[in-house]
Amino acid sequence: MTDFLGEVERDAVTEILNVAIGRAAAALSRLVTAEVTLSVPMVEFLTPALAAERIDAATGKQVSVAVRQTFRSSFSGDILLIFPEGKSLDLVRSMLGDSVPLDSLTELEQEALLEVGNIILNGCLGSLANQLDIDIDSSLPTYVRGRGARILDSSHPEAELVMVLQVDFSVAAKGLGGYLAFVMDIVSARHFSESVNAFVARTLAGGAAPA
Amino acid sequence: MSETIVLVVDDSRVSRMMTKSAIERLRPDWVVLEAASGEDALSAVALDRPDFILMDVNMPGMGGLEAARQLRPRLPKAGISLLTANIQDSIRDQAAAMGVGFMSKPLRDEDLAAFLAAGRPPS
Repeated sequence: MTDFLGEVERDAVTEILNVAIGRAAAALSRLVTAEVTLSVPMVEFLTPALAAERIDAATGKQVSVAVRQTFRSSFSGDILLIFPEGKSLDLVRSMLGDSVPLDSLTELEQEALLEVGNIILNGCLGSLANQLDIDIDSSLPTYVRGRGARILDSSHPEAELVMVLQVDFSVAAKGLGGYLAFVMDIVSARHFSESVNAFVARTLAGGAAPA
Repeated sequence: MSETIVLVVDDSRVSRMMTKSAIERLRPDWVVLEAASGEDALSAVALDRPDFILMDVNMPGMGGLEAARQLRPRLPKAGISLLTANIQDSIRDQAAAMGVGFMSKPLRDEDLAAFLAAGRPPS
């Protein structure tokens, strides 16, 4: 299931997303004022059902909460920020600090997660757009709660395979962890790869530098 | 001397809370008003004339770029800056072209302090 990208293309796609996710991690780090550790991004081509199983495996089949944005450019897809449900309130507490009374935190949890998602997902998409020198439109963030299939929402039910990029992140000092995932259908994955190839060619020719 | 008014425009209540809290730490005597959309921002400036406006970009209805485009000529003396998670260069360029500043989320205290002091964020 991994023949859609050659080794060099896969490496370029992973690297460019790595930079974008690094930008997102920096934003998260500033929000929670603590260091954020990232795993090496994993790119896989999976059926939607298997992609949902991957999410379940990563979350121990527990209910998760996620913020999802749909993005559109020459390629389109979904980008998701996923947290184990029990940890999201800790994240909100880290973010709002002492400025909000404890009893208001729960009420604000969903809105706070949406804003965290907005900052992190747009940071990631924005870095991607700047690196590839393209415009990317994105939807407003939406909040989802459930297990893998619900989180992924089968937004590509007709697709045989989807490209899933997953990164685990953790904030050790705060006991927080979560996952960031890109989901694209194969047509979009090919267009995305073409944009990355054009970027690599420009960079090697001494053109644009990575943003 | 009349009071200094800052208008915070963002569809996220949490984001408005965080921004308001940062402004109040730096300028406890200033008045911070809130609007939850571009349309609300246009209505708000008809009642109060803010000295500073912080504007989110991605909002339901009228987005921040269009609202800033309409507000810029109406409030030529006000400091107006986008405050957005949308860090794309194209957004930054559009802000510069209309004479509006750009700050990325999460808001840095030093960026906010510079904006409130000079009416524009550090470049």
